[in-house]
Amino acid sequence: MKQFVAVLKNGLSLENPLTVLMIGLCSTLAVSAKFEGSLFMGIAVIFVLVMSNVLISAVRKFTPDEVRIPIFIVIIAAFVTIVDLVLKGYFPSVYSFLGVWIPLIVVNCIVLGRAEAFAYHNGVMLSIADGIGMGLGYTLIIAGLGAFRELFGSGSLVFLGNTLVSFGPAYRGPNILLLFPGAFLLFGFIVAGSRALNRRLTARKEAM
Amino acid sequence: MRDNIYVRLGLPVLLVCIVSAAGLAMTYSFTKGPIEAQAREAEQKSLTACLPEAKTFEKIADASMLAKASTAAGDVTVDGLFRAVDGTGATVGAGLLVGSRGYGGPIRMAVGVDRNGKVVGVTIVSMNETPGLGSKVVDDKTFLPRFKGLASADEARKVDTITGATKSSRGVRKGVEAALAAFTAIGGVEGVSAK
Repeated sequence: MKQFVAVLKNGLSLENPLTVLMIGLCSTLAVSAKFEGSLFMGIAVIFVLVMSNVLISAVRKFTPDEVRIPIFIVIIAAFVTIVDLVLKGYFPSVYSFLGVWIPLIVVNCIVLGRAEAFAYHNGVMLSIADGIGMGLGYTLIIAGLGAFRELFGSGSLVFLGNTLVSFGPAYRGPNILLLFPGAFLLFGFIVAGSRALNRRLTARKEAM
Repeated sequence: MRDNIYVRLGLPVLLVCIVSAAGLAMTYSFTKGPIEAQAREAEQKSLTACLPEAKTFEKIADASMLAKASTAAGDVTVDGLFRAVDGTGATVGAGLLVGSRGYGGPIRMAVGVDRNGKVVGVTIVSMNETPGLGSKVVDDKTFLPRFKGLASADEARKVDTITGATKSSRGVRKGVEAALAAFTAIGGVEGVSAK
């Protein structure tokens, strides 16, 4: 249990896929223009990550080393397609915003990376923890980025059709926030912030 | 016995593929209904929004008509032609679903044309334009009504685009131009009401 929590926490802080491992950045920069979309993207990634981690970890003893990558890809692609179909059928507005980025989760480095680096060498329970931790780490950053970009870029925050916060019609946000360069710059600040935080965490760990 | 590499490596891959395919087939059969319903609903909703006078929209399946429309539309795709029918069964105009190129991918829209061949309304069915910039074609409430009352592609070409959303609004404009050209090509409202 202790190990479960430790692995879970790792994904959020010391091994956060986005700010530390720097994988899966493409989708992060592309879909974080809106809070709602980025949140659903995060949920989709958590689902795929946990499910594929579980399955890959469960069949790891029967998976020959030479063909592990094709097997990983098939498993991951199956879960991504499930997410794709479900979103299309039940959340069309989210689906139309995320568009091609849902099928592209298949090649998201986080999912394949965790399959290879973690699930293939660890038990099912720990792989679940890793999936949840990594997924939450991804969601946290992408949703935060999405909230910031939407709020300050377009002046209001909309979730499922409800306006949560609005600066009023007079507010004119800097356009760059909504475009990719803005996302890139902002992401740089997030990385800087999390590095400072992680350094403090490691220092505290060593002092103990 | 010699270790058969094809069996040792191929079998696990094959098994995983079979199980995945079965899982996907199951998911597909569950979601097929809702997905089709969503697509139809979105289509009908946007058609009704751009031609409120009509009660129902009947899809035109005539292949030669569709071919004529798509030739007239040029590089804009024609996804559907609809006969707009009011409560009494009279043809009140036509609804056209077209897809043109925007900045972030295709912009799919519905264009409603009345009996006189004039645009009644334009609605966006789906698009992937930059939120806050290209999405102004929807958010700027004065933009889509600019097409109202136009009767020809040449008139549509003169509509002003939006600052900061030039490519997106040009995409919408091109879609309307193509829709009007297609409407003329299929013989106007007479062509639509002839079965």
